Amino acid sequence: MKMPEDFKTRLKIAKSKIKSELDSDKQKRATFMGNAFKLGTELVAAVAVGTIIGFILDTWFDTKPWLIVIFFFLGAAAGMLNVIRAANRMQKED
Amino acid sequence: MASNPMQQFTVQRIGPEIKIANIDLSFTNSSLFMVISAVVIILFLFLGSKEKKIIPNKLQLIAELSYTFVAKMISDTAGSKAKPYFPFIFSLFMFVLFCNMVGMLPYSFTVTSHIIVTLIMALFIFIAVTIIGFIKHGFKYFSIFVPSGVPAVLLPLITVIEIISYLSRPVSLSVRLFANMMAGHTMLKVFGGFVVSLGILGGWLPLSFSVALTGLEILVAFLQAYVFAILTCIYLNDALNLHH
Repeated sequence: MKMPEDFKTRLKIAKSKIKSELDSDKQKRATFMGNAFKLGTELVAAVAVGTIIGFILDTWFDTKPWLIVIFFFLGAAAGMLNVIRAANRMQKED
Repeated sequence: MASNPMQQFTVQRIGPEIKIANIDLSFTNSSLFMVISAVVIILFLFLGSKEKKIIPNKLQLIAELSYTFVAKMISDTAGSKAKPYFPFIFSLFMFVLFCNMVGMLPYSFTVTSHIIVTLIMALFIFIAVTIIGFIKHGFKYFSIFVPSGVPAVLLPLITVIEIISYLSRPVSLSVRLFANMMAGHTMLKVFGGFVVSLGILGGWLPLSFSVALTGLEILVAFLQAYVFAILTCIYLNDALNLHH
């Protein structure tokens, strides 16, 4: 008669274990999605800022279109730098 | 019937027009929902901390949970030096979170789906962090633009790239929040429009999508508030602990 009681508690423990594992998995997925959004905007924002700086400098020095071209590529480089930094930070967190 | 998915983002004036020195300072639906969010936060925290029980009730539990959540986030990312900035980051997190969440209610207005709101918050953080950096480190703060271990030939190039990277912070911070909120709410509206136009026969599929998207949007609303706050902590960490 002792067996079913024992089995019930064991089943309960096992079920709660699976549930907590599932919950942590869901949480992880949520942070992954946040990370994905973060990387995307990080890359685009730097390109946009670089291009805007190039445009402003171009109108200042009257050197259209050279600085905008240079600063576009510098912005792209800065975006990649941002993404690498963000990715490094994510690895440190895990 | 409002079938235009972008119509939910229009800012309307409520009450009389107030103009001071040619600047329109009228009370709008955007301001109304900011006030609602702020009042809800104050009520929530006030009621949550009113009865200081050893065994907390649900409201007190949630209030304490949000406190420890932000406190842990700050100490994990920015260290103990960032403790004095807890009130600011906590208010910021709660404001963004409640604006997003209040925006999820039907017939409400999402304050954070306007780039001017998020950009002002991001610019404030950016300027504040820069000032804090200069106060704490003086001119040594410029070394954030000069990474160590770079050959002298590449130094001018890297410095320019670092400056662009630094200036892109407020842009990425504000665009991320704004774009997520706006895209999500537009998508919800579009699927809602599908339900109406397909009628009782074909409307079930977009309706189920709509339900799923609402769940996703609530997740995104929380996540974006979290990302906004944690990036503020990271920027603060760069300003407080200069280690380049």
